[in-house]
Amino acid sequence: MTLLPVLRSEWLKIRSLRPLLAALAGVFVATAGITVLVHAMVGKAEAGGPDFEPVGGSYYGLNFGHLAAVCFGVLAVAGEYTDNKAVRLSLMAVPRRGLFYAAKMLVVGAAALPVGLATGFGCFLGAQALLGEYGVGLGADGALRSAVGCGLYLTLLTLFSAGVAAVVRSQVGALCLLTPVVFLVSPVVGSIGAVRDVAAWLPDRAGQQILHPHPDGPLGAWSGMAVMALWTVLAVAAGWWTLHRRDA
Amino acid sequence: MTSIDIRGLTKRYGPVRALDDLTVTIEPGRVTGFLGPNGAGKTTTMRVVLGLDRPTSGTALVGGRPYATLPDPLRHVGALLDASAAHPARTARDHLLTLALTHRIPAARVDRLLEETGLASAARRRVRTFSLGMRQRLGLAAALLGDPPVVLLDEPTNGLDPEGIVHLRNLTRRLADEGRTVLISSHLMGEIARVADHLVVLGQGRLLADAPLDRFTASHASLEDAYFALTTPFADHAAPEGRRP
Repeated sequence: MTLLPVLRSEWLKIRSLRPLLAALAGVFVATAGITVLVHAMVGKAEAGGPDFEPVGGSYYGLNFGHLAAVCFGVLAVAGEYTDNKAVRLSLMAVPRRGLFYAAKMLVVGAAALPVGLATGFGCFLGAQALLGEYGVGLGADGALRSAVGCGLYLTLLTLFSAGVAAVVRSQVGALCLLTPVVFLVSPVVGSIGAVRDVAAWLPDRAGQQILHPHPDGPLGAWSGMAVMALWTVLAVAAGWWTLHRRDA
Repeated sequence: MTSIDIRGLTKRYGPVRALDDLTVTIEPGRVTGFLGPNGAGKTTTMRVVLGLDRPTSGTALVGGRPYATLPDPLRHVGALLDASAAHPARTARDHLLTLALTHRIPAARVDRLLEETGLASAARRRVRTFSLGMRQRLGLAAALLGDPPVVLLDEPTNGLDPEGIVHLRNLTRRLADEGRTVLISSHLMGEIARVADHLVVLGQGRLLADAPLDRFTASHASLEDAYFALTTPFADHAAPEGRRP
């Protein structure tokens, strides 16, 4: 049994479920949509102020849109573990669990990357267009890096969530674990001065450094992305360990 | 021809021994009825054979190899374990296609099996809209995808309509006559008496009987009587792993 047929099977599993496609579309629509909406309403009014920074502000919608990436990663994996235990049939067809898991993660990542990149460039270009004379081009300092970085951030967040779902083996459980971290713990802890430097090492905080031309805090653009990649590797590895050890 | 060889199989879930040193061979060319009270270990046996559960000790081989090492397992073994083992939001045809793709089984084969199992008109409906009987038919189609020489069916008659039961009866007969290995578990004694050539009976994870149907029932009025005479001391319905009452 080789990788290619298993990849095709896993790809069909994503294509054939509407909630997964909706979550994937939601990443782009929510992130770019909210960014464009906010820039259309308040964009120029705040432009030119002392704290104005056109590049990082382009990704405002990510605060909401990245939850769709979490959902996509969770649903893609935990769908195997609903009451129906579809994973049993999956493992009957592909009993080499490493092959099954690798194919699933590759396909989930490969689906998230183009959507993430489209989201990154969509956000940036949309926001700059609405900023008019205050807008900058992709040639500006850190601009191209931020758009590509947004795509990498969303891809890693998806895979991180997929790995967590493989450990928890439940949609509800994985979402209950991830949503507060991404929506509450990280923003709240990140705004408290005393622990801000610790929060900077959380996966989403670390990965978002790349959105800014001049990141502040203990992590830089690429070192932050590397920290997030490490979190992702740990989550995916823990998911593999769980699948490998436990009865299906 | 492919047999299933189970040697010294023990499976513990915590303190519970679901299987206790089980040794039995399921031979090809006949329908083997797999009987035993709830919690006797029938499903666990099938799950270990399929590599889903790891045995505590002992081995289960299909054609001399562990299931997980088969290069294209669906072409060796087909199994219906749990009728609802399909994502509820996926269509029946897509569900079968996800399995078929892993083995490069053509879509035409999927469509033919949907036809044969009477699901052709429901092929593009989502599985969540299916009745239990339709799910059983879908599970049967999945089991037959790879035209396997070994077929494991765990309570396949659950929820089937009379027509479906007759179809299943004819199917298992034909598969065995073609020289395949057919293991079918059921609590319906009348159905097993009609379809099985051979019986394997478990009680509390141990082998109680491994005999041809006629020899098993020889000194009793019916299969049901013979079954109760053998298993009553082992019918512990409080046992964990107990399935539907």
